[in-house]
Amino acid sequence: MNKYECIYVARQDIPPTQVENMSEQFTGIIKDYNGSIQKVEYCGLRQLAYKIKKNRKGHYVEMHLEANPDAIVEMERQMRLHEDMLRFLTLRVKEFTKGPSPLSQTKGYKESRRVAAVTKEDETQEGEVA
Amino acid sequence: MSIPQKPSFFHRKKSCPFSGPRAIAIDYRDPRILQRFVSERGRMVPSRISSVSAKKQRELALAIKRARYLAIMPYVVD
Repeated sequence: MNKYECIYVARQDIPPTQVENMSEQFTGIIKDYNGSIQKVEYCGLRQLAYKIKKNRKGHYVEMHLEANPDAIVEMERQMRLHEDMLRFLTLRVKEFTKGPSPLSQTKGYKESRRVAAVTKEDETQEGEVA
Repeated sequence: MSIPQKPSFFHRKKSCPFSGPRAIAIDYRDPRILQRFVSERGRMVPSRISSVSAKKQRELALAIKRARYLAIMPYVVD
């Protein structure tokens, strides 16, 4: 059994309940292969950094899975076939990251840039004092 | 190290923001951290400017590329 972190992005036009159904479908596959689900986190409708299939926004979901490789292969195959899927990325991790996903705390790239610009200013001010 | 030219100017050697006791974790999901290491146009900043260590720069590059694929970070900003 390996630990995997999977993030997928779904089309903007579908309601969040349908995103939940998608998550259930994928976690169901993992369960069928005797894997376990540690976390399914819906990170909200985020602004995409660039357009994908004419979508400007996307539903982000992060999943923490414990499964065998064959389960992941099947899950990814189903993901590729899914019509509402824009992107997915599954990575094997040594340990799951604790706490909520940083994706839930930001709405998109532009918003995060504004936040960082403010913190950068603070840093330079600190530097001048020191 | 060289002696500072002006007595009022403190030349402090910058250290890698991902190493040492106050290190930040590199996370491909967090645009707030990653965007500090890309230019206005979305290009990665060379490590000689950002003073990221070679090892961490490799990690960072991978994280930025993953974030770009998931549309968390842009490939180009026009």
